[in-house]
Amino acid sequence: MNDQPDATTALDVYGTGLAERLGGRAVVEHDTVRIYIDRSDWVETLRRARDEEGLAFFSWLAGIDWSKDVEVGDTVEDLDDLEERFEVMCRLSSIENADGAQFIAELPKDDPVIDSITSLFGGAEWHEREAHDMFGIEFAGNPNLTPIYLPEGFIGHPLLKSYPLLAREVKPWPGAVDVEDMPEEES
Amino acid sequence: MSTDYEALMHRSEVAVSVELQTQDMTLNIGPQHPSTHGVLRLVANVDGERITGVEPAIGYMHRGYEKLAEVRTYAQMTALVNRIDWVSGFASEVPFIVGVEKLTGIEPPPRAQWIRLILTELFRISSHIVFTSSYPLELGGVTPLFHALRERERVLEIIEAMTGGRFHPNFNRVGGIKPAAGGGKTQKQVSMDIPEGWLEDVKAAMERVLQATDDSDTLVTGNELIKQRTVGVGCIPADKAIEYGLSGPNLRASGVAYDLRKHEFHLPYDQVEFDVISGQDGDCYDRYWVRLQEIRESVKIVLQAIDKIPAGPLRAKAPRVLKVPKGQVYVRGENPKGEFGYYIISEGGQKPYRLKIRSTSFSNLSILPWVLKGALVPDLVAIMGSLDFVLGDVDR
Repeated sequence: MNDQPDATTALDVYGTGLAERLGGRAVVEHDTVRIYIDRSDWVETLRRARDEEGLAFFSWLAGIDWSKDVEVGDTVEDLDDLEERFEVMCRLSSIENADGAQFIAELPKDDPVIDSITSLFGGAEWHEREAHDMFGIEFAGNPNLTPIYLPEGFIGHPLLKSYPLLAREVKPWPGAVDVEDMPEEES
Repeated sequence: MSTDYEALMHRSEVAVSVELQTQDMTLNIGPQHPSTHGVLRLVANVDGERITGVEPAIGYMHRGYEKLAEVRTYAQMTALVNRIDWVSGFASEVPFIVGVEKLTGIEPPPRAQWIRLILTELFRISSHIVFTSSYPLELGGVTPLFHALRERERVLEIIEAMTGGRFHPNFNRVGGIKPAAGGGKTQKQVSMDIPEGWLEDVKAAMERVLQATDDSDTLVTGNELIKQRTVGVGCIPADKAIEYGLSGPNLRASGVAYDLRKHEFHLPYDQVEFDVISGQDGDCYDRYWVRLQEIRESVKIVLQAIDKIPAGPLRAKAPRVLKVPKGQVYVRGENPKGEFGYYIISEGGQKPYRLKIRSTSFSNLSILPWVLKGALVPDLVAIMGSLDFVLGDVDR
């Protein structure tokens, strides 16, 4: 060990190694490993992560809407550089140790289709149905891609950034005017 | 002659079974039903007493927390996230606030971390007592509930003495914990630390909790009726449990000794000693037994933590208007029901760009169609209850 602060942590090594072996791009920040992979490799990469890397525990799957058309909440910092897209994210962990990673595939807005991983993880069915509800992402091969949270006949996908939060439209959030001091900041 | 007779018998048997070829019946259970822990609806296909397929219909309690997170500041979110799983509110606050702390680089002082650990374990005890006492109720035994809830009340009282809330403490702040119960303008001079004598009260309450688990042991664990209803019922093999993302006691009952408290140390779990309890068969009885033993382990942890808790401030300096830098973080913790995690995507600013809540019961419940297939209708409630889910946690 030298005196210079070493920026490369064990997790960085693990993340880049994982990406090299599985084929993908690794981003490691805040103790979180993200592996960006191509959507055509989605099922195969996750299968290899499960079988070869020991990441057998299916934790969750979710979608993200990167959008310029923001009706609710904050926009991203550099809006001009933003590429409109969906991301599908799947978390796999090891059940032996603390290993785990987020696998992310990008989907274009006009063709939000990705292969289903229900053949690998039975538990993914519900998570894919949720992402289908909330973002309108299609999972090819999911045997039962019906609404899970939303009632029948519901129009729209609530977690899209362009979907308005109606309660907020009717009445502004009272928290916005909450200016009470924190206890230690008086005096 | 005998062959003719056999042929005749065979024909008649075929005729009878064709005659009795019955249609599967669809049985609707819930959404309002005492055994569904809230508003869960099950659409079951039954062939006589045998369940041939189940489709759980969830979403009756969907409150859209992931959408609401996008219009709330990080500080405002803690009031919501402890309502996801209301039986263990504090335990689901911690991963969220730790995620924000990781993004902002604010380090909570050690005393705050230990108090978080103690409160998490107290909520684990409370949650497990609710399960171990209400599960016999679902099987038809009323008495254990009253015995155990009396002792749980002691736990809730000490939680209330500390946080001011019995179920929704909203006690975490970025950089530590709220000064103390009611630490407002008038009280701030006297109550900037935990209430006087609180740690002794906790010790006394732990005694009562141990007594309650012993009571449960004598009343329930060895009870022949309970055993007949649960042993060998609703078996989940380890590989299925892993595939479906079952976590917590449900996974450990299947023999997988996987506990995030042994892997994630944002709370100082590496400095306390405890055993990871795991079962063997993954049946309803094991799921009950694992939770009961975990109460004892949690008591062990709390008592060690009381001895180890350091002095010091409860909160690090954090800006009043919290601007969180750009970044993505996933923090998971061992909630009483299993892995509870938050994936926070910050794009700078005061609100998350996207918050993904990995709620435990949603994954735990997703195995229901698999495990109920082929089970008997009378076992339905026994199996469902043994998974220990909270509908708020399923629907978010």
